[in-house]
Amino acid sequence: MNSGPQIGSDTPAIVARHVTKRYGRLSVLNDIDLEIAHGEFAVLVGPSGSGKSTVLHLLAALESPDDGEIVVAGHRLGHHAHGLSRYRRNDVGIVFQLHNLIPRLTARENVEAAMFGTHRGHRQRMARADELLERLDLSDRSGEHPATLSGGERQRVAVARALANEPRVLLADEPTGSLDEVSADIVLQIFADLVAGGTTVLAVSHDERLNRRADRLITVIDGRTETGDV
Amino acid sequence: MVRFATTESGLSVTFVGLILRQIRSRPLRAGLTALAVAIGVTAVVALGVLTVSLKTTATELLKVGNADFTVSQRNTNDLINSTISVSDIAAINRIPGVGRAIGALISTDSYDSNNPLVIEVGLAPVDQAPFGVHILDGVSYTGGATDQVMLGYAFAKNVGKQVGDTIVIDKHSYHVVGLYSTNVSFGNSTVMFPLSTLQGLNRLSGQVSLGFVKVDSGASIRQVRRSIDNNFRQLTTIQSASDYGRADRNLTLISAANTGGSILAAMIAITGVLNTSLLSFFERMREFGIYRSIGWTRRRVVGLVLGEALIVSMFGAIVGIAMGWAAINVLQHLRQLRGIFVPTYDSAVFLRSLAFGVLVAFLGALYPALRAAFLAPLKAVRRE
Repeated sequence: MNSGPQIGSDTPAIVARHVTKRYGRLSVLNDIDLEIAHGEFAVLVGPSGSGKSTVLHLLAALESPDDGEIVVAGHRLGHHAHGLSRYRRNDVGIVFQLHNLIPRLTARENVEAAMFGTHRGHRQRMARADELLERLDLSDRSGEHPATLSGGERQRVAVARALANEPRVLLADEPTGSLDEVSADIVLQIFADLVAGGTTVLAVSHDERLNRRADRLITVIDGRTETGDV
Repeated sequence: MVRFATTESGLSVTFVGLILRQIRSRPLRAGLTALAVAIGVTAVVALGVLTVSLKTTATELLKVGNADFTVSQRNTNDLINSTISVSDIAAINRIPGVGRAIGALISTDSYDSNNPLVIEVGLAPVDQAPFGVHILDGVSYTGGATDQVMLGYAFAKNVGKQVGDTIVIDKHSYHVVGLYSTNVSFGNSTVMFPLSTLQGLNRLSGQVSLGFVKVDSGASIRQVRRSIDNNFRQLTTIQSASDYGRADRNLTLISAANTGGSILAAMIAITGVLNTSLLSFFERMREFGIYRSIGWTRRRVVGLVLGEALIVSMFGAIVGIAMGWAAINVLQHLRQLRGIFVPTYDSAVFLRSLAFGVLVAFLGALYPALRAAFLAPLKAVRRE
């Protein structure tokens, strides 16, 4: 693995310093700083269009910052970083707001697809996918395609996929936004278990149920961050 | 362990399974792509077998009478139009190291609508045995007879003639005195005349088409060939198929046509695969973006796209081989090719066809595969 120089284990799980991101003339993030400790559960809050999702995309190495430095799980990210595929696969899991499941694959296969290229053989992939779907109360829906799943079920499949490779950092964009009470409780309990096990969770959310469980809320307004404890 | 099938619900999905899933989801498109490849492979198989077969038929002439090599006129457009004087054959017989040189006149004629092209061989009776002629029924014609012929047994069977019958060729009636076989298959479909008779019919008195040379045991074939090539500048010696082009340009032209036809077929097939793969790429950009965002490497994405093209192309290649085989059977029964085209199924042609399928898949799908692999994940994911 080499997504940039390795950073010591005493550094926070997520570090962003003076990060700026622009789309053409539109400046989405302006010199933001962020530090999230290992095993911390933090939530980005703020109005729509403030840049919360962009922060997650930068941390997931789906985009590169125009300026500044980002270090996640010990890996320095940026334009010239190497091994980003392995980083996305093994070190970070992302739950998209719009689920982004593969339509032609079943729920189980969507989860398994995230494990291609890992040490797991197909039986282990299947076992891991079944385990995650069971935890998310989707055992009886594992053979269904996304088109036949409800919005909440799709969201839970997306969570299962993000957790497939036991990432050190989980990034989730509105993970409970489309979930009913029961499903939201399941996801929140999983997040709590992950944090208890040392996984860092950073979510974007407008959902009070989730925000109440967070260790810290980080407000993003006009591309800048303001931190405050819950 | 690689599994080649997946179910929709009960089993784990494999990489190969994903590829098959994609192909199955668009059967019409996959079918049309396979058809484009199949048409290309059909052309490759048909042209390949045709070329190999014509080469084999042509070069079989070199093996007549177990000759060590053949002598022909240099730079003739067709070996059958070669002319060598009988006196040159006699002179070749006197070259040190030459054990035996036989001259034979070869011409073509039409027999009937079912046999529009018959090969006629003019040969002295004394030269029949060294020429590899084995009389199966009846006797040989006499040296100067103008109304006697012998028939190759395959031709006799084809036209329903036997010893004692009369046969009319080019408005002349001949008495069938014998049936024969030769050591090369095409010879069994020929008609054999006394040399002087065929020379007269073709107004080629004192001429033969080819000389067949057997060297003395212990003599160097190479040295004897060099002596003939040096002493008879108007003649050339042919020992192998590769020498053949020096005397007969038809084979070179046929090979060139085969190469040109195969390239054209490849372009058609590659365009078909490229078209389908590009269409698929534009439809599936979001899917490729998702794969990249969950950690698939570029190599794996390339493998997915190329794998789909490869499987479809190989299916097309197998269908194309079957279609090519059918095309050869049609060609074989064309009146114009009867007696000349005896299919020779060379395994190399079929292996080349499969390689053609792989090449078409690779070249046709490489560009879409690379575009898929180098998509910016987030832009692709956001695409509607």
